[in-house]
Amino acid sequence: MLNIEHLTKTYGDKKAVDDLSLHIASGEIYGFIGHNGAGKTTTLKSIAGILQFDSGEITIGGVSVRRDPVACKKQMAYIPDNPDLYEFMTGAKYLNFIADIFGVSAEDRKARIHKYAGMFELTDDLAQPIAAYSHGMKQKLAIISAWMHDPKLILMDEPFVGLDPKAAHLLKEMMRELCDAGGAIFFSTHVLEVAEKLCDKVAIIKGGKLIRSGTMEEVKGDDSLEEVFLELEGESC
Amino acid sequence: MLKTLLHKQMTEIFRSYVYDAKKNRKRSKAATIGLIVLYVLLMVGLMGGIFTFLSLVLCGQLAELGLSWMYFALMGLIAVFLGAFGSVFNTYAGLYLSKDNDLLLSLPIPVRYIMLSRLLSVYLMGLMYSAVVIVPAVIVYWITVPVTAAAVAGGVLLTLLISLIVMLLSCLLGWLVAKISLKLRHKSIVTVLVSLVFFGAYYFISFRAQALIADLLTNAVLYGSKIKGAAYPLYLFGRVGEGDGLSMLVWTAAVLVLFALMWTLISRSFLKIATASGKTAKAAYKETASKVRGISGALFAKELARFTGSPNYMLNCGLGVLLLPVCGVVILIKGAAVTGALNAAFAGKPGCTAVLMCAAVCMLASMNDMAAPSVSLEGKNLWLAQSLPILPWQALAAKLRLQIALTSVPTLICAICVAAVSGGTAVEAVLFVVCAVLFTVMMAAFGLFLGIKMPNLNWTNEIMPIKQSAGVMFALLGGWTYSAALAGLFLWIGWRMGAAAYLAAAAAVTGLLFAALLAWLKRRGARIFAAL
Repeated sequence: MLNIEHLTKTYGDKKAVDDLSLHIASGEIYGFIGHNGAGKTTTLKSIAGILQFDSGEITIGGVSVRRDPVACKKQMAYIPDNPDLYEFMTGAKYLNFIADIFGVSAEDRKARIHKYAGMFELTDDLAQPIAAYSHGMKQKLAIISAWMHDPKLILMDEPFVGLDPKAAHLLKEMMRELCDAGGAIFFSTHVLEVAEKLCDKVAIIKGGKLIRSGTMEEVKGDDSLEEVFLELEGESC
Repeated sequence: MLKTLLHKQMTEIFRSYVYDAKKNRKRSKAATIGLIVLYVLLMVGLMGGIFTFLSLVLCGQLAELGLSWMYFALMGLIAVFLGAFGSVFNTYAGLYLSKDNDLLLSLPIPVRYIMLSRLLSVYLMGLMYSAVVIVPAVIVYWITVPVTAAAVAGGVLLTLLISLIVMLLSCLLGWLVAKISLKLRHKSIVTVLVSLVFFGAYYFISFRAQALIADLLTNAVLYGSKIKGAAYPLYLFGRVGEGDGLSMLVWTAAVLVLFALMWTLISRSFLKIATASGKTAKAAYKETASKVRGISGALFAKELARFTGSPNYMLNCGLGVLLLPVCGVVILIKGAAVTGALNAAFAGKPGCTAVLMCAAVCMLASMNDMAAPSVSLEGKNLWLAQSLPILPWQALAAKLRLQIALTSVPTLICAICVAAVSGGTAVEAVLFVVCAVLFTVMMAAFGLFLGIKMPNLNWTNEIMPIKQSAGVMFALLGGWTYSAALAGLFLWIGWRMGAAAYLAAAAAVTGLLFAALLAWLKRRGARIFAAL
């Protein structure tokens, strides 16, 4: 589903991502962990087509992000670490805007808004301007909008930040459901317990370099993910 | 602490002069100085020039009649009017709605320091607009009348007092707008309507200015004695400019008292207004089938929602939407007098009326410049336009189409009305309309070009990209320059080729410019936008 080959991105003299390669298959929930400034967001933004990278190749469903970004973006959804949405729109208008851009039919969008807004208990607030939403409500709206067009791949940057426990639980269920239906999810998180329980595979990045990746068992063995992560952090120092 | 806050505020205001957002680095000293000099030249040269001329007309005659105080009172009132007009619409947003409210209020900073730093922005904006009137007025007085030390002190004090009065009025009106706004559901529309009443008054007085000044000069002595009797404070206000000690003392004390009152008023309500969430009555969501749009329709609707969702955006970048048809209708009614005067003034240059009126319509149309700040207004939402499955050009095209849609139709209405009374041939009338409409299309592309070349995505208050950005200023001045060139070139040599041929040539040049800008936007502009 998602192939990253030798991805390199620099800001001035600093290599934010350094020769990173990852392969995420359909049906996988892939966690991406690393300390602040390790290169997680840069990697996710490069895949989402927001950042132009220096070298390497990213393909989604066999289509190159560099050569045909629009075709790639049609297959995926991206949720940033901070849900800065169009505050001049109401929640309902925003979801319809996203549905229009992705060409979602009237029936499908109505059904999905009904389903997901109901699940996140946001239905009553859909007529309010997004400017009046709390951080958590904006995060919920960003999640609903990501699921609006039934994407094959979802990229998420710290998706659990700001969500209440119930919404976080719902999101985990939705992630599993999407992957069981043949989709794939690549997300960054600092919550290692969540990553350990939820992810099929995990990648650890430090200083822009991939220092370990594979199935959860391959990466952590008999230890906890936290122990392995801290050990790897210490080793690379 | 206060110094740090004031420094932060100054950095925000003058950021575009010292920081190149596109290259993400500090500008060189030469570039910073160059930009500041250019801005000062434009302000002083254009606006200052108009008021220097007015001062020259008034000063000599009134001083000769011993009515220098009336000269200062009149110029002072114009300065207060322009200063308050220039800053009042930004005061509410500037004082209360900054995005760093939460951050600053969470820090151990006294609220009065935050207020003071915000007031600095309001003060500087008012000072800028009032100074272009009162500084030339004071200098002209010093040149015309034998200058004394008292007159110099009076002139300086008058400039200072006027800037403070402007701030007082702006803050009072900003406070009123805030109070009303918190109680309204449809804030944007109501704010725009209230503001339009101010605009109406402004333009009414502006149109009547020439007649009023002529009347004033004819009956100066009579009006002088009437003002002295009925509005003594105004007399004292004028006397400040002459350097009268008592008047200077009285007005300084009065302004200081008013400042203290204004400070008390604002400080009592600042926290409440800055942290208020407005009317909380909830709109009910109805689950109905929504209208399905295509990508371009959705992007256009988004741009329109952005425009209509912000009174600042509508007032600063979209006044032409209303003014163009209104002016068209006014010209239809009163056109005979205007065309008669123009025909008489330029009798030796046939077709002049049509071209000059076309230039006037173009100048009016350049009041719409919503494309210029549209890229900067994406701000922190830029990730959406970049991550959605759309081409960068599609996002830009929506911004372009918004300005074209909101400007070309009103321009068309205005141009048809004006062309109908301009007295030219049918061919001239058609070319007049074509030229004006092509101008609006070209200006939309020019505004977007500037928006891409001079983006500012890191703003804390939307006033910055809407009103205080270099791109918007150049878009406005570009429109005026183009309109002035259209008229000036005709008066210089164009009249020899006839109005129809000249308008056809102008339309062709405008069309070519639009084509060149469009080609740039589609290729280079789209690439720059994608990489922002």
